[in-house]
Amino acid sequence: MGEPAALRTTRSGDVGARTSPSGLPRERGTIGSSIAVRDAVKRYGSFHAVDRISIDIEPGEFITLLGPSGSGKTTLLNLVAGFQSLDSGEILVDGKPVHNVPTHKRGFGMVFQSYALFPNMTVSQNVAFPLRMAGVDRATTDRRVAETLEIMRLTEHATKSPSQMSGGQQQRVAIARAIVRRPRVVLMDEPLSALDRRLRESIQIEIRDLHRTIGSTILFVTHDQGEALTMSDRIAVLNAGKIVQIGRPLDIYRHPTDRFVASFVGESNLIEAEILQKRGSTLTMKNRAGYVFSAESRDTIDVGRATVLVRPERIAVSNEPTANSTPVSVTSAIFLGEILRIEAHMEGGEPLLIRCTDMADRPLPSVGDRLHVSWGAADCWVLA
Amino acid sequence: MSSASIGVQADRPAELDLVRRLKDPALLLLPALAFLAFIYLLPLVDLIRISVSGPSWSSYFARVFAIPLYWDSLVRTMQISVTVAGLCLLFGYPTALLIHRSRGIAQVLIATAIVLPYFIAILIRTYAWMVLLGRNGPVNKLLVSIGILSEPVQLLFNRGTVLLGMTAVLLPLMVLTIYSSVARLDQSLTRAALASGAGPLAAFWRVLLPLTLPGMGAGFLLVFVAAIGFFITPTLLGGPGDQMFAMHITQQADSVTSEGFLQALGVVLLTITLAVVAVAGRFLGFEFIWGGRKLTAAVPRAIDGHTGDVGRRSFGASVADFIGWPLLRLFGRLPASCGTWTVRLMGGLVIAILILPIIVVMIISFSSASYLTFPPPGFSLRWYEQFFSDSNWMRAFWTSLVVAAMSAAIAIALGASAALGIVRSNIRGKSAIMLLLVSPIIVPPVVLGLSLYSLFLRFDLVGSVFGLAAAHAIGGLPLVVVILSASLQGVDSRLEQAAAVHGASSLTVFRLVTLPAIMLGLAAATFFAFLHSFDELVLTLFLSSAELKTLPLMLWGDVNYRLNPVLAVVSTLEVLLVVAGLALARPVLATSRKATSQ
Repeated sequence: MGEPAALRTTRSGDVGARTSPSGLPRERGTIGSSIAVRDAVKRYGSFHAVDRISIDIEPGEFITLLGPSGSGKTTLLNLVAGFQSLDSGEILVDGKPVHNVPTHKRGFGMVFQSYALFPNMTVSQNVAFPLRMAGVDRATTDRRVAETLEIMRLTEHATKSPSQMSGGQQQRVAIARAIVRRPRVVLMDEPLSALDRRLRESIQIEIRDLHRTIGSTILFVTHDQGEALTMSDRIAVLNAGKIVQIGRPLDIYRHPTDRFVASFVGESNLIEAEILQKRGSTLTMKNRAGYVFSAESRDTIDVGRATVLVRPERIAVSNEPTANSTPVSVTSAIFLGEILRIEAHMEGGEPLLIRCTDMADRPLPSVGDRLHVSWGAADCWVLA
Repeated sequence: MSSASIGVQADRPAELDLVRRLKDPALLLLPALAFLAFIYLLPLVDLIRISVSGPSWSSYFARVFAIPLYWDSLVRTMQISVTVAGLCLLFGYPTALLIHRSRGIAQVLIATAIVLPYFIAILIRTYAWMVLLGRNGPVNKLLVSIGILSEPVQLLFNRGTVLLGMTAVLLPLMVLTIYSSVARLDQSLTRAALASGAGPLAAFWRVLLPLTLPGMGAGFLLVFVAAIGFFITPTLLGGPGDQMFAMHITQQADSVTSEGFLQALGVVLLTITLAVVAVAGRFLGFEFIWGGRKLTAAVPRAIDGHTGDVGRRSFGASVADFIGWPLLRLFGRLPASCGTWTVRLMGGLVIAILILPIIVVMIISFSSASYLTFPPPGFSLRWYEQFFSDSNWMRAFWTSLVVAAMSAAIAIALGASAALGIVRSNIRGKSAIMLLLVSPIIVPPVVLGLSLYSLFLRFDLVGSVFGLAAAHAIGGLPLVVVILSASLQGVDSRLEQAAAVHGASSLTVFRLVTLPAIMLGLAAATFFAFLHSFDELVLTLFLSSAELKTLPLMLWGDVNYRLNPVLAVVSTLEVLLVVAGLALARPVLATSRKATSQ
């Protein structure tokens, strides 16, 4: 075997603008592989951890598996990594099946939640590990390790042992180890969840930038929807071993396909309403409190009842009644800095969550206050 | 090209299946299981076969129970064992609490005072008591000098010294077992009890004691089972009226009476031991033998154990209320420091009992006197010179070293592989296999020696160095398996995954990640396996020949015929060996303690 494919920095054919099915223009060169999972099944006894999942990942894409614990996202990652074997189905990398290839021959990079740095090696030995395993010669190894440490701003820590470093530094070392070989695929298993918020945000940006520079395909697992929204090209939302929706962050947030996605990604009001009439794609609806509003729908529903998603920040609030508003009574109001978070009841008793920017001329509402809220057709999304 | 190599193996599932099956870690269990089957199970089965080979299957057993000598001795053995286990519990519990409650250097010193004797040969510790209580020993001298006795008397060779000696020998086992259950407790439980208004005594009675009950049970049964098979200590410290059952087996083996009867004696001892262990295992889980936790979550048992637990606890609680509270109220009148002082006093007594004999023997080894006397009239190295210049002693010393090194090598090779198989495979019946691997610990050495003797005769192994080393490895193997499976379970599987995903093959993962992580455990296991063989006496009594004499065998001969300070020299050397080994093993013990307290 010559120099591993993973070490070739670019493939000329992939350079240049093109459009992926995910709708993102790709203006960068990529070394990333495509990954295709077909009908993957993994059972533990009668429990289906991964239940016939299929997913196509573009070369060089940053894709996030998002879901609550137990949704199967980590199992799916472990299947791709090869830590666990499929019960049925297949996994293809660049069109070739890998599900029977042992982990160490798949040529991936991986970042673990617990960092998993080898305690008996220094920082640079840790980073050099994948190259050593690939049989790369000494001089190249030294050069690449130095480069990678430079990228991750770890040069001055090269001779330290991992235990002497802070959590954030350790995670940067783990990332350096994962990318040093310029792998075609980098797997990330909740890499930021052990870090505090500020550090998490700065490493999020670092990982995004890194993804642009190296162009590997990144498969990222998290249960943090905010993280998924900020980092990913596409998000696959998992629940109970199945992918419930896959799409760009904005689509997932604005146009969730069902109640689970709507409530798992972002804060949401799910309002039950009756469809009064349909004109074109515009529905006229009425909720239990008697509030009549219009909503856009792409679906073909035209009669009966439907659930409408109204994001808390899309609700307009005022102290006085306005055209087409409905009164609510405040049950709690929390000042969060730039934003007010208000919980209220509609007339029918339905709870409503509102987020609005703080206004200097208005006092903080107190419990029992009456406010008037409204939303327009563009602010709602009718769930199937 | 890695992208090309990826696809190659994908379309040969049948072959892949075979490869996968050959890579199953369960196969690593095979060498150890084969070894035990041949050298451990087969002889025991043979022993049982011979014991039932009389005119009718029960005829030899009928003889055992018909002769009052054996029946009385059986009853006596039970009495002694229960008393010893009770004494160990009574004094061991406060000592375990003392270790748990002390801090820093004090804790290290107290723990060392308990652990050190645990690893010193029973023969040497018994010899130390003979020195201590002898006619010219320090106890007699002390009693005479303060006027309680007018002249030295015979303190040895009675029931009291047997009980004292056996309790002293087995106390560390009890203390360590209870300590591990005390240390495992969440410290905040006691604090919560105190914060809820329970006094120190009430917190002990209602929280600490009930929660450490399983540990106490395990300790009591381990000591009891060990005591049933005791041979060395009662032989050396007891009088004619203190014959224990195991002693009859060796005596019969010497006088070669009728075959079958001898084996029946062994089977009786084995059956009693196994019955006690089985009953204990039913209630405590068999893990109590090796002080471990369950390897697999046995869900059904956990559930019915739970309901049983509640029933028992409510009964226990009502008993505690009925008897305990009045007592507590009575004790509550005592100053609060009483409990602390009781613990310190009893713990201190235990430490003195464990450490003083060793110190006395070490001092005597430097004596200038030609006979055993304490305090020595002067100091010299004459006994060391005698030991190192005596070719018999030296030959025995080298034999012991060679046998122990070989035995440790066998135990490590088989045990490490078995530990990997136990921890890494998903086979069914893991607990049963672990039980089998560890079971040589509980089989009385006398019975094991007896059963091995006929196997060794058949294969002409009596008196062979390799045979002896293999026999010693039967007992070394459980130590290795227990230590190494604990350290393997402590290895972070994420580290191994990280190595594999970044290109390390499974062998490389083992070499670069797993091996460094279990290195300390491996070193400790090697040392303990070596020490086990180096100290082994009972099997050696059965299996060695006139040409093959180990150090413990020479000691045994001398202890029985002439007590002289050369034995003290050997004892001192052994103590130094154990101290050095413990110093090496200390990091391991520290980490394993950390692991159990988490």
